[in-house]
Amino acid sequence: MSNVVKDTLTVIFGLTGVLFFIGGTVGLLRCPDLYSRLHPATKCDTVGSISITVALALQIGLDMALFKILVVIFLLLMTSAPSGHAIGRSAFMNGVMPWHKKGVVPWPLEGGDRWTGH
Amino acid sequence: MSDFANEFLLAVAVVLIINAFLCLYRAAAGPTIQDRIVGINIVNTKTMVVLLILSTFLGEELYLDIALAYALLNFVVTITISRYIET
Repeated sequence: MSNVVKDTLTVIFGLTGVLFFIGGTVGLLRCPDLYSRLHPATKCDTVGSISITVALALQIGLDMALFKILVVIFLLLMTSAPSGHAIGRSAFMNGVMPWHKKGVVPWPLEGGDRWTGH
Repeated sequence: MSDFANEFLLAVAVVLIINAFLCLYRAAAGPTIQDRIVGINIVNTKTMVVLLILSTFLGEELYLDIALAYALLNFVVTITISRYIET
């Protein structure tokens, strides 16, 4: 692969990753409650970091470092989604209320006295 | 690696570090414990990506191993804390 093609692909993947990371930061700072904050957070965990890692792998070429970077990509794919699920589950079990309008109960539950909204 | 790609990747690393400092706000001021965990999780991921970029930029292969350990530690910490505070 020629150098120009490699550099162009690196810029494309790197800019995609930066875009997703900035989106994740904005979502983390601006979303109203935990459950909606988890969504941009996991997105920037997987897509952003994996595309930046792919850009790095293009630059490295065939090497021992390439194998380690592939291991990192596999690890990110395996671990990011379960950690997001665990955080959401712990919030649900602790009774964190989702964002909703005043006087509207987001979901009906048996014995839902512990759901104290506004 | 070409000169242009080197500088581009360094600029990406700088943007990521600025983003990580912005994410620390959520970790400091989150209303619930889970918000803090999400903030710390994202800061850890960004640190790992910056380590990967630094390893390519400086040509140090040791940083790749550190990033690998960082990713595993991030996963273990998140799962452990969220299962621990789950009643």
